[in-house]
Amino acid sequence: MPGPTIDLTIYENEETLLAGLRRRDPDACACLIKRFAPLVYAQALRLLGDADEAEGVLQQTFIKACEKLDTYEGRSGLGSWLYRIATNEALMHLRQHSPRIDLDDVAETIQADEMPQRLKPWTLDPAAAALNSELRAMLEQALAALPETLRVVFVLRDIQGLSTEETAAALGLGESAVKVRLHRARLRLRELLAAYMQEH
Amino acid sequence: MTCEELIAHLSSYIDHEMDAALVAEVQEHIAHCRNCRVVLDTTQRLIVLVHDEGRRIIPASQRSALFERLQQAFLNRPQTQSQSDQHSSEDSAV
Ligand SMILES: [Zn+2]
Repeated sequence: MPGPTIDLTIYENEETLLAGLRRRDPDACACLIKRFAPLVYAQALRLLGDADEAEGVLQQTFIKACEKLDTYEGRSGLGSWLYRIATNEALMHLRQHSPRIDLDDVAETIQADEMPQRLKPWTLDPAAAALNSELRAMLEQALAALPETLRVVFVLRDIQGLSTEETAAALGLGESAVKVRLHRARLRLRELLAAYMQEH
Repeated sequence: MTCEELIAHLSSYIDHEMDAALVAEVQEHIAHCRNCRVVLDTTQRLIVLVHDEGRRIIPASQRSALFERLQQAFLNRPQTQSQSDQHSSEDSAV
């Protein structure tokens, strides 16, 4: 049984790791998880906003990745490949498990209560400050508080950096819906983070 | 341009998806309206702030039980090697 003490340095190189995975070497599997699970979990958690669901997607991602190892061509790097599988798994999970959609959350215009209320400048300069753990926790919490329809668009566009077109394709939405939802997500997040940002 | 109109178009302005004529109106408005200037500035800061979050990882030590469970699930997964070719279609969506 591979424990936390296995020597992972033998798989430092991605090709060696891949060869080990294809041989179904348990140490290679452990290494794959150690190296990439934190990245995959972070993305699943951001998209889903729920720790239990994110854990399910995390497991699904690695199991699926191993099933598909034969079709992995190594062009994008294992990290981006896993990241893409995780994103697809999370989006699929959302499509299957969220029949309830609040009409306000898909409105094509900003609502009266979404107009900015907190109008003090932020003291924190994000370009200069590295994200500290307190701020990250605040951000994670604020993201989880967004309605799913807005959160998913925000994660794909502003965090993951996909284009409007790519986001629309991934979610099966029109581009104008992506733009409106992104805008509403930004306004709400700005509001949610403002109290903290005004003081730090 | 009113404050409401400016707020409604704020993301188009930030994302450079706005007509030049409207851009001029936005710039004139924020030159005189402190509130909208703050909203624009803080929204831009938010976007910069989250931009690199996509590469963020959660330190394994913080979630070690989670990764332990994953490893067990992974090692105990059903062996489906012979079916591996049937699952090749879905990594193209994103
Ligand atoms: Zn104004």
